[in-house]
Amino acid sequence: MEYAVETFSLTKIFSDWWGRAKVYAVDDLNLQVRYNEVFGLLGPNGSGKTTTLKMLLGLLHPTKGRALILGGDGTDSKVNSRIGFLPEESYLYRYLNARETLDFYGRLFGLPPKVRKMRIEALLDMVGLKAVANRPIGTFSKGMARRIGLAQALINDPDLLILDEPTTGLDPIGTRQIKDLILKLAERGKTVLLCSHLLADVEDVCDRIAILYGGKIQNQGQVRDLLQQTNKRQITTDAISDTAIEKIKQLIQDEDADCVVTSPMEKLETFFIKTVAAAQQQLQTISGAVSTTKIGGFLAPEAATENILDKLVSTPVSQESLPESPTTEKVVPVESPTPEPDEELLSKLTGSAELSQPEPVFRDEKVTTQPAESEAPQAEQEQIDKSILEKLTGRSRPQGQDEEQTDKSQAGDTGDG
Amino acid sequence: MGSIWAVAINTIKQALRMKVAAVFLILLLVLLPVMGFSATGDGTLKGRLQTFVSYGLSLTSILLCLLTIIISIYSVTSDIEQRQIYTVITKPIRRFQFLLGKLLGVVLLDVILLSLFSAIIYTITIYTPQFFNATEIERIQANNEFFTARAALAIPAVDVSQEVKERYEQLERSRELPEDISYKEIIAELTAQQQLAKRAADIGQVLVWEFNNVEPLDQSMFIKFKYDVAVNPPDMQVYGRWFVGDYQYIKYGTQSKTPVYDRIHKHSVRDFHEIEIPAEVVPEHGHLAVAFQNVPLNNTVIIFPPDGIEVLYKSDTFTGNFVRAVLLILARLIFLACLGILASTFLSFPVAILLCLFLFSTASFSGFVIESFGYLSVNIGKIYSYTIKWIIQLLPQFDKFNPTKFLVPARLLSWSLLARCVAVMVCIKAFLLLVVALIIFSYREIAKITV
Repeated sequence: MEYAVETFSLTKIFSDWWGRAKVYAVDDLNLQVRYNEVFGLLGPNGSGKTTTLKMLLGLLHPTKGRALILGGDGTDSKVNSRIGFLPEESYLYRYLNARETLDFYGRLFGLPPKVRKMRIEALLDMVGLKAVANRPIGTFSKGMARRIGLAQALINDPDLLILDEPTTGLDPIGTRQIKDLILKLAERGKTVLLCSHLLADVEDVCDRIAILYGGKIQNQGQVRDLLQQTNKRQITTDAISDTAIEKIKQLIQDEDADCVVTSPMEKLETFFIKTVAAAQQQLQTISGAVSTTKIGGFLAPEAATENILDKLVSTPVSQESLPESPTTEKVVPVESPTPEPDEELLSKLTGSAELSQPEPVFRDEKVTTQPAESEAPQAEQEQIDKSILEKLTGRSRPQGQDEEQTDKSQAGDTGDG
Repeated sequence: MGSIWAVAINTIKQALRMKVAAVFLILLLVLLPVMGFSATGDGTLKGRLQTFVSYGLSLTSILLCLLTIIISIYSVTSDIEQRQIYTVITKPIRRFQFLLGKLLGVVLLDVILLSLFSAIIYTITIYTPQFFNATEIERIQANNEFFTARAALAIPAVDVSQEVKERYEQLERSRELPEDISYKEIIAELTAQQQLAKRAADIGQVLVWEFNNVEPLDQSMFIKFKYDVAVNPPDMQVYGRWFVGDYQYIKYGTQSKTPVYDRIHKHSVRDFHEIEIPAEVVPEHGHLAVAFQNVPLNNTVIIFPPDGIEVLYKSDTFTGNFVRAVLLILARLIFLACLGILASTFLSFPVAILLCLFLFSTASFSGFVIESFGYLSVNIGKIYSYTIKWIIQLLPQFDKFNPTKFLVPARLLSWSLLARCVAVMVCIKAFLLLVVALIIFSYREIAKITV
């Protein structure tokens, strides 16, 4: 089996009651998703993304063609037990509370009670809903429901995760968290099929993408290959003097190339997280025990994520490899003395390690040779995120670190065993 | 099995937390005790008990039937319409398991609610005599005619074909046959006339009913009867002399080893009455006769209407009968749950509800409906008998197997009758519905069409 998901001229035609007025929702689609990759299915509304997923899962019958998922049929129980699925909206039972919901799905997988209980607690921890676990889901906000939806998709420790618009309804912090989670899962050998029209999300996490329009694949390939402007170079530096800039300009002009010098823009996502962090800290000094625990719960995804994943994955990918990877050395931690796997992952994702300079970003000057698209170097920004996340969690860092360490040692133990 | 159970439990939670079941539950919890006080019947203890059990069980039955229809349809269609089924059916659960889980949940809920309500009805019934300080006579009557389960000795059918034939020939010879009536109808009319004649006792005449293979009894037996009279007596009461005992003795006057019951009673006409007969009268050989003499004092012909005489004996307890009656209701609920599940696999909630309510009411009146077809003119009757009648006969006959029909007159609802009813209603009809539902559900597209 070469592909986790493979379709052969998959076609879905919707016709009206008389069998007329045909709409090709999916048209002769040949899709291949390799094992252990994060694959993004992109497209505007009504381009057939969700229809494709529904056919993969057996919720719709293809008019023509065939879909293989983990080498089998989407309605096969054996296949289903290895899939996690998050539909485009969290369709959950409103009258169940969060814990009961996860318990229900756990039972559907036939998980033994002990495992079920352990995973439910770990997942609730991970999605930051432990405090409200006994509230009916009908009273949840969209984002909270989304988190539970994600938790139910993970309860069986799936080999293949199918996510339909995973970040809709989530605040930027939640979005960030999901993206980190997807990367972590990929790290652990999972395959993720992601379907979205939020391009930023896809760009951040996907290895390969396919762009769908009118039910047909218009373009597909490696994200890096598709997006990298090989005819341009970007250099980011500290805030250097004007004379230095002039020198550089001179150098570039000697090469017969143009250059633009600007201060890099901060991404709105980063700015938002920073603002919330500031507000969060103020609140903490005044009162706000409730909101503290709540936000703290999901702002410290590291420990929690490690936790659940270590528990979920029976044979975890060796943890030791993370800090030793070459990229890590280049990243100078902003505040934390310990290497951050998340940071490292993100820089790895952007695929341009040479660009991820360790300098604090606030003082950066950006030098872009040739008129730059306002494409800020991802790695830097992720680094800011990291620093902000660090600041936020700094309050509880010693504890978090302890957890992380114990987790790692646990993982190491199991790895050894 | 684990996943079926998970779906079942979830269905019960849905029913209770979405307050569908809660409404019915509260309604019954309030109404049943109220009825216990307000149902008075004809004022006697027996009447009070009969009214309460009849109304209480009927109300429970009909409300649970409605609840079953609503829940079974709601829980499947809402999962499809609100799309929770997307996350459920993509888990390792087969579609048939999903439906079976839903069915199991509805049936479990029915079992719980039915046990609860029937326990309430039973308790109120049992404690009614103490609570209302009934007199000793009333209690004895209630014990004999209500707190028991009595079976009837089969009244042998009277063969009148010979008489009918003779009468017909006689009419034919004298050319008195009406010309606008078919042969079949004339024969039916004559048969009815002759059978009536067999049940009529002229002044001084004796009518004898004989029963073979009567098992020895350990408790008294009862003759339940109703007099019709040709001429109304002044006080609307007539005398009747009743003999019960060895057939040989009554018919031929031979010596009898067992005692023979022989008493004259005075009873009002056109009402049902019962007389208690000691158990010792049943002879060892089981050949028993019941005889009635129209005492000359009466001065009128006495006629027993078609259902006007029954010989009853106690064969089980009230409790046993009550349990079987409740099981009969459960069989009905299981059928309706399967019907609801079937409807919800291919219809939306409102349409499925309408269809099921229509079928439910048809099944509830099926006896009446089928009977009414008999009165249609020949041509239209044919159309009906090939279409609707056929559909109606596919439905179970709820009115024919109405539990109150057995409990109110304290008639035995035997295990064999219950088993037959369950076999037809659940094992055949409900099972077929379920199979169709599973097939439809396994092949339909679950997701809604959205482009």
